Amino acid sequence: MLERYGRAVFAQVARLVPSFEDAEEVYQDVFVKVFKNINMYDVEQSSLKTWVSHIAYNESISFLRHKTMPVIYYEDREGEAEKLSESEVEATFGHPNPETVQLIRAALKHLPPDERAIITMFYYEEMSLKEIAYVTESIPTTIASKLSRTRKKLCKIIKMLQS
Amino acid sequence: MTEEKLNELRQQDTNLRDAIWQDETGRPQMPADLNERLMQRVAAQKEKKPRRIIWPWIAAACVAGVLMIWLTPPKEAPTDVVAENKPKVEQPVMVDEPKAKEAESEALQPEETPIQVEKVKMPMSVPKHETKLLAQETPKVESPETPTTEEVHTDLAVAETAKPQPEPVMLTERDIPVTRPENYRYTPEELALMKKQANEAYLKWVELELEIAKQTMEQTALK
Repeated sequence: MLERYGRAVFAQVARLVPSFEDAEEVYQDVFVKVFKNINMYDVEQSSLKTWVSHIAYNESISFLRHKTMPVIYYEDREGEAEKLSESEVEATFGHPNPETVQLIRAALKHLPPDERAIITMFYYEEMSLKEIAYVTESIPTTIASKLSRTRKKLCKIIKMLQS
Repeated sequence: MTEEKLNELRQQDTNLRDAIWQDETGRPQMPADLNERLMQRVAAQKEKKPRRIIWPWIAAACVAGVLMIWLTPPKEAPTDVVAENKPKVEQPVMVDEPKAKEAESEALQPEETPIQVEKVKMPMSVPKHETKLLAQETPKVESPETPTTEEVHTDLAVAETAKPQPEPVMLTERDIPVTRPENYRYTPEELALMKKQANEAYLKWVELELEIAKQTMEQTALK
């Protein structure tokens, strides 16, 4: 199990927990929990990978809450990102451009950990909405709206960085 | 936004996908010995003695203790029964003065009858001047252990009606426990008896004195 899912779990944890040492600690906690609660795994509910991801996500979020580390991220309080049109967002993300890629990478750092985790699960791990909802203990429609909002938010951050 | 639309976007958003991909690949890789450390930690946790959970035992002991206290009958229960049987001896009973005198006169009559105290029938009369003292000495008799006279009477009445009439118990002086100060006081019968005995003794003493005087007179006459 460690060989199969270890790297993915560590990447997931390291995505949420900024410190490398803390990520190692959380990774160990995740697998200790997995070994302890392996009897509770339900095949019908999710795949083993999703179940382990769910534990990793919860452990990481719980660690961040207890650590009370200062996390600086962009918060769209005035809803300016929502004002962006879909065509504008598609133009930013759709047309291949190495410069934009670097800007997006910079913009990703300004997202809160949970939003970054969701967008990574969707675009990088190619998980379905249902799976993401299971991992984050949410519902697919909420994840869909969160993804849409995060896209626009990223676009807004890019525009801010450009200006 | 529907899932289909999002899936379409996932394919279209090449810039975003590439950015995330690069971001992920640029992350520091998992240390090679991390899994080994994890296994050591798991093994160490297994080796650790499972901590003894004692709080359920403490809770059970507490519950048992409370139950024992709850279920144990009170210690006063047997003494209550005793108190019901002999409150007449303990209570300072006020009796009419003529009745006391009557009893006194009866006791002074010549026929000698042994002092037989019947438990229920015995009149617990005390002379008036003594009753005051008794009342002063034992003013608070209605303690929770000793019931009041009325309660005792009612209890006795109930007991008498419920049970078949037992044979009257004859009590002697020995049966009266001298454990309470009230029992140090003499009953009118006892007082009457003592007076009678004192009178007899006095008469005998006078007779003896006369005998002695007579004897000495005879002796002096002979000399």
